[in-house]
Order: sequence, then structure tokens, then C-alpha cells
Amino acid sequence: MDHISVALDHAQSLGAEYADIRIQKTRRETIYLVDLSLKNTSMNVEHGYGIRVMKNGAWGFAHSNIFTNDEVKKTVESAIKVADLSAKIKKGKGLTLAPERGYIDAYSTKIQIDPFTVPLSEKVDLMLEVNKTMLNYAKIKRAFFMLDLYNDDKFFASTLGSRIHSNIYYVYPMITATAVKEKDSQSRSHDDGGYAAGWEHILKMNLIDKASQIAEEAIMKLEADEPGEIRRRDLILNPNHLGLTMHESVGHPTELDRVLGWEADMAGVSFATPEKLKKYRYGSEIVNFIGDNTLSFGLATAGYDDDGVPGQKWYIIKDGILNEYGSTRDSRPFLDDGMSRGCSRATNYYDFPINRIPNLYLEPGKKKLSPQELISDTEDGIYIEGRGSFSIDQHRVNFQFGGDMFWEIKNGKKVRPLKDVLYKSNNPEFWNSCDAICDERYWQDFGVTNCGKGQPMQTARMTHGASTARFKNIRVGGSK
Amino acid sequence: MIIEFQKAAKYIEKNCSADDYSFFIYRSDEQQTRYAQNMITQNMSGVKYAVRLSVAYGNKTGMARINSLKEEDLKKMIETAQNIAKLNKPDPEYVPSAKKTKIPKTDNVSENTSKATMKDMVSVVKAVVDNAEDKKAFISGLVTKKINDFYMKTKNGFEGFDSSSEFGNSMTMADNKNKETKVERSVKDIKDYSVKKEIELLNSQFDALTTPKKIEAGKYNVILRPQAVLNFFSFLLYFFDRKTADYGISAMAGQIGKNMFGKNFTLLTKLDEKGLTAGPFSGDGVAAKNIEWIKNGVLNALTTDRSYAAKIKADPNFISNIIIRGGKATEEEMMKKVKNGLIINNFWYIRTVSNKKNEITGLTRDGISYFENGKVKHSVNNLRFNQIIHEATKNILLLGKEENMSSNVKVPTMLIKDFNFADTTTF
Repeated sequence: MDHISVALDHAQSLGAEYADIRIQKTRRETIYLVDLSLKNTSMNVEHGYGIRVMKNGAWGFAHSNIFTNDEVKKTVESAIKVADLSAKIKKGKGLTLAPERGYIDAYSTKIQIDPFTVPLSEKVDLMLEVNKTMLNYAKIKRAFFMLDLYNDDKFFASTLGSRIHSNIYYVYPMITATAVKEKDSQSRSHDDGGYAAGWEHILKMNLIDKASQIAEEAIMKLEADEPGEIRRRDLILNPNHLGLTMHESVGHPTELDRVLGWEADMAGVSFATPEKLKKYRYGSEIVNFIGDNTLSFGLATAGYDDDGVPGQKWYIIKDGILNEYGSTRDSRPFLDDGMSRGCSRATNYYDFPINRIPNLYLEPGKKKLSPQELISDTEDGIYIEGRGSFSIDQHRVNFQFGGDMFWEIKNGKKVRPLKDVLYKSNNPEFWNSCDAICDERYWQDFGVTNCGKGQPMQTARMTHGASTARFKNIRVGGSK
Repeated sequence: MIIEFQKAAKYIEKNCSADDYSFFIYRSDEQQTRYAQNMITQNMSGVKYAVRLSVAYGNKTGMARINSLKEEDLKKMIETAQNIAKLNKPDPEYVPSAKKTKIPKTDNVSENTSKATMKDMVSVVKAVVDNAEDKKAFISGLVTKKINDFYMKTKNGFEGFDSSSEFGNSMTMADNKNKETKVERSVKDIKDYSVKKEIELLNSQFDALTTPKKIEAGKYNVILRPQAVLNFFSFLLYFFDRKTADYGISAMAGQIGKNMFGKNFTLLTKLDEKGLTAGPFSGDGVAAKNIEWIKNGVLNALTTDRSYAAKIKADPNFISNIIIRGGKATEEEMMKKVKNGLIINNFWYIRTVSNKKNEITGLTRDGISYFENGKVKHSVNNLRFNQIIHEATKNILLLGKEENMSSNVKVPTMLIKDFNFADTTTF
């Protein structure tokens, strides 16, 4: 605690209007099993602190991994020097911060079994059994299993008086089977993304059964037909697939920093500009998107963000209308005098916090509806499971997505598997074409752990969720 | 070599009791000044460390990584790696750590860049912001300076050290209407970075843009400027693994020695290429060498790590730098070579569509112009391409002069016929 008061006092004595320190220890155990060969069994630890100061309307940030009072002071001085230089190039009064107060609090992910205490042999045994299951199929030429176990132990303190401790965990298993024949290779994955929980989540997943299923489906794809020419038909998308679609076409366009042009040089900007707030029809009336950094298993849930703002729940799209952005303390004042939505997150101690997508999900439909009923109600369409190729323009308008498993639907029935399916759509066509969403019984989450954004690039994590939904009259077909 | 590296290395060697080990120590001194909408929005400074130890007992392996050189942390790292290996299952593809190897001499660090301060970086931002304001435009980007030191040693005698430097600026200038364009470049030596020249290039791209006219999807002749060439062909490297090819998973399967690419396409690694850096060794302990991966359309080699190289009794290799050979054609000559076409400044959000077909997708970005009868006519809306990479190389008609795009990449402008744009966009 001594380092904290040294940092904050020193920053204020040097003229900082605001300062915070984030002490962060990140542990990450990763195991890669390719076929039956352990390519990487590693434990990574990164421990250090980042000090951020605001002075004369400009940020300065410096970091170190040396925990002495002298080094903390040097790091503060470096941050102040950087802020002084930054202040030479600003517009008007420069940056300001949305109002906030200090908090003294603690937050921990609810876990039953600490994944770092599970014996390595138990983890590797499970992985070997899964890969052996996939390789038992003659046409499966590659089996891949990645296990990613993560813990972030963080202490945040600011000159507002905040003293916040968070201890975050997630677990993330991902398996892929690749089937090969002479003129084709096709992969199928089981990938629900990460989940904020302990090892108990892995135990519930029944990965051996999943391994058989994806191996069989990879082989099925090998023999499947391509969808033919692009033409308009209905799409039914499962929750896992929709996780990525909403991430790219709703999550990123509603980050306030992108709206303000702060990401223009790399990730891009947003079509969802402020004059559209409360007016723009983003989706049909049944489309409701919620930002929710209070979701207990959510990967963006940490109690507070890296500005010291509490986790919140709010409508981003309400009854199809653009309602509000995800914001940070430094971005919100450029919009209005409201408070931040608590979306400021840094990946590592040496990263500067930036505006990230919150946990973001599509509300389930209000009427009882199952995926099977939705398929039965569809005359001419394609059902897509899982994630595949994805690409969207830098304004987040026009996109092309693939998937991981495809079924042709004719007259209410899944008639045959397909492969190499792509659909092309845009905002606002896509979300306005949504005419049915299954009910809450079918709602599933999908955790993203590698959302790349920023310069230098940071990878953030967040959870998405949806029930299976239908989109009418979308262009879908092969790659040409 | 840096004294603190030597001290940490000695400690690891003295205290690691595994049958075999390899480790690296990495230090990166970084400054990053980020700007957007004509002001600085982030500004960062600091030194990062990484130490990674890989150990083996027989063919049971373990790895640990930390970000500290303190002995107490190194001790924990050694214990962790060793415990993982002892508890692990055997790896049937395990190969012992690299042996003593002759490492080529490279010149990857510049004293000028080492001496650059944040003040120098802010002066670059000031120049580009002043220019943007003159243009009544908005500029966003990132100025970076990095000094990296990397040391690697194995129990079997491999030892290598490399220092490298990089200074770069990436900037996007836009107005509130339809104009948006980008220039980015990084260099080893800051004296080779001319903010004046980069602003001139940015302004020429910006001034060339007009209100875009609608254009439909289809096959077009394209002049790909170097940034577009770099981003497009970078994806080729995703399919460049020998093992994946031999397993029949990628399009490279069975293609070594064959004319898989067009005769105008040559991709190589050359350690003494003027103005380029080259990593002298890989993290696997493979010494860098000159390799013509693709020569005049013939695929000669694919990347092969030590483990797979041992299995197929081949020499291991890796990509130390990337050069795509160019020619002498100017953009004017390219525009005259075909009746009409598109000039592409950049591509964006490129992703794989099919590994087996070598097919990728992506969008144009940062300005796209239509030319006809040797002259630029007007800007057009952005387009999405779905294109098989090696098919595009068979359609290369002319190559321009090579340009250094980053400290270890050099590519030319290309004229390619019948580039496949599968969709139009709304802007």
C-alpha cells in the first residue's frame, strides 16, 4: 500500500489533476496439444504497475515492474513528463473526465475449483483423450486442443480515493478436428470461447462427446456440397455464431471512442454517429441489445473498470433503436455531461486503458419459440452454427461472415449439410431483417478472449449471448 | 551483451537441473505516442522484460515465462518449468534443444533511433497535425520507437544475441465527408524517416480523392500500392507451413518444385538486403539464411521448424525478412498498360475463406480510384474481394520499384489483371 500513496501523492505534488495506479499480476497457463504432441505447456506470469496521470488536459502513462518507492516515483515522473509533452498538442482545453466518485471495494470471479490447482496430469489426460477420440476417425488428419487458464489479480487506486481489488478468472478450452481428402480439407471446432469460472466449468462440458461430434461433422463437411451462387434466402443463426456477428456489427460500432474517431488509424470509426442516438433504426422492433458488465460469468465483469467506474447494465439497442454507447471517463465528455458506462479496460499492466466492448447480448424473444420450431417455419434457408471467416469494413457497415457448420433448409426441414457458405449483408439491413428470436430457454453465451483493438494492439475479453434467431432474405452462397 | 542479461543467464544455467533446457531473455524499451482528431490521446513509455525457460526431462517438456530478471523470480520460473515437465506426459515429437550454430552477422540496430526521445516523437505529431489543420482535415495515428534486445541460449550450446531498433509512424487523414487515406512506414534508423516525405505522400493520396462514384462488384485490373501488396501477400504466410502442407490441409500440399505462382512473382529472405533488418536466428534456435521461397513462380521451400525438419530429414528454416521482388514500371506505365482499372491504396480486415483453396477475403480502404486511358478519373466506393492468392500472382502484368514498408519488409507496386471483387459496399 505504501507504493500506492507514494504514487498518488507524488503525482499530485507534480501537478496531476488526476492520477491512478493499477498494480496487476497476470497468470496464464496455456497448453497446446497438436495431435498427440504437447507443443506448449507453459505458465506465464506478468507482474507490474501502470501509472496514469492527467495534467493540463492530457494523459501521461508509464509503467514498471520494479516495486520500490524510488522506482514508483521515477515512473510517476516519467508519466508526468509524457503528459506535459502531450499537452502541447491538444484541442481547446484538451481531455476531461466524466464525473465519478471513489470506491473502496473488492470483486472476485465466483469459482469452485481454482484451475491453477488442478494437477497438470488431469488436464493433459483429458486433452489426450479428446484428441485420441478425434484421431480415431481415419479421415481426421489433425486434432487440436488449446487450453487457456487465466487469472488477473489487480489493485486499482486513484486520487478520487478509490481502492479496488479484483481477482478475475476464466477458463477456455477449444478443440478442432481437420478432415482431409485429396482435393479438400475441412475443419470443425467446438469453441464456446472463454467463461469466467473455475475448472468446474470444464468438467461440465463433456468434451469427449463434443470431440466425436465435431470429428463426424468435419468429415460430413468434406463430402458436403457447396451452396452455389449467392442468392437471397433466410438465415437461421445459432447463439455461438451470433456472438461474433453481434461483436463485429453492434459491439464495435457502439464503442464511443470509435464514434469519436479515436480509432480512425487502425480499428476504424463508426457509422453509428451521435446524431443517430435515440432515432436510428438499427434493427427490427424485437432486437434489444444489452451492455452488462454485471453478468456473473461475463468476461468483461470485474466489479469496476480500469477508470474505477462500477460495472453497469444498460440498453445499447432498445426496441431496435440505437440507444446508448459503451463509454469511458475520457470519451463520455465529448458526447454530453453524463457518466461513463465503465468500459475502460487495459489488457496488461503496461497497457493504457481504452474503450472496450462490454459484455453484450441479444435479449431472448418474448414468445415461446424453439430452434426446431423456427426451422419448421422456414421454407428456403440455411442454418449456420459456429464461427468461420469474418470480415467487416472500417465503418462497421458492410460485412461478410462464414460459419463452422451449415445445413440447407427446405420446406421446414434440414435437408443436407453444406460447406464453404458465406453471407453478405450490412447495417442496417441485417438486424432489421431479424424477424424471430427463440426464447430464453435457448439463450447461450459466447466468450471472446482475443478482441484486438488499439495502437499498440491489446486483446480484450467480453461475453456475448443470444438465442437462435432468423434473418429474412439475406444474400448467401459461395465465395464468388 | 547487456550485463543484466548475463547475470540472469548465469543464474538460470547454474540452477536449472533439467536434462535439457533453452531460454531467452528479452528487453523492449518502448515509447508510443497516439493521436486522434488532431490531439494526443495516449502517450506511453516504459521498459518491458520477458524471460522464458523451456525444459525437458527425457521427452517430457515444460515451459514458464516471467517479466522479471530478479533472482527470486527466476528461481520460481525454473521451479515452475521443471515441475510442469516432471508432471507432464511425454511428447512424441520432442527434439532436443538447438546445438551450437554459426549465426549470421546482421545489422539491426541504429544508434540514432536509440537516442530518439519522446520530444522527437511529439514533433512528428506536431508536423502531421499542423498539416491536417492546413487541409481542414483530421489526423489520427501512432508514432512508435522500440529498442529490442534478445538473448537466447540452450544447454546444447546454442547462443545468440540480437539488438534491433524501429521507429515508425502510422497516420490516417480524413475529412468529415468522404475522404480518408493512410500512410504508414517504419524504419530501423530514424534518419531514414522523413516526416516531410510522408506528409507529401499522404497529401497526394488525400488530394487525389473525390466524392466516390458507385461501382459494382466484378473482376477489375488493379494497381496495388505497396501497403495493399504487403497486407494482401502477408496472408500467404499463414499457409506457409511445411507440415500443414504435407498433411494435405493447405493449398501448398504437393506444390514444392512446381509453378504454383505466376512467373512474375518472387518472394525471398535476404539477410544483407539494403535497408532491411533480418532476425539472425529464430526462437527455436535456427540460424537465419538466404532463401528464395518462391522464385519466378516456382515454390521452392516452406517454413519448417526443427521438430518437423527432424522427422522429414530436412533443414529447418524460418522467415527472417520478407522481400517481394519488384520491377521498373511506374504507375503511369501501369495505367497505360491496361484500358482501365482501380488504384488500391490499402486492404483491410483480411481473413481466410478457405485454407485448401488459398482463398482470402477483405475490403479496400484508404481510398480507391478509377483510371481509364492512362488517367485517374475519379474515386469509387470500397469493394470486397474474395481472391485466391496464387491465382492473383499469375495475373501480375507489371511490377514497380520495391519500397521498404517496415524495417524488415520490402514490396513493390503491382499491376494485376482480373482481381476478383465479390461485393460492393455502401461507401
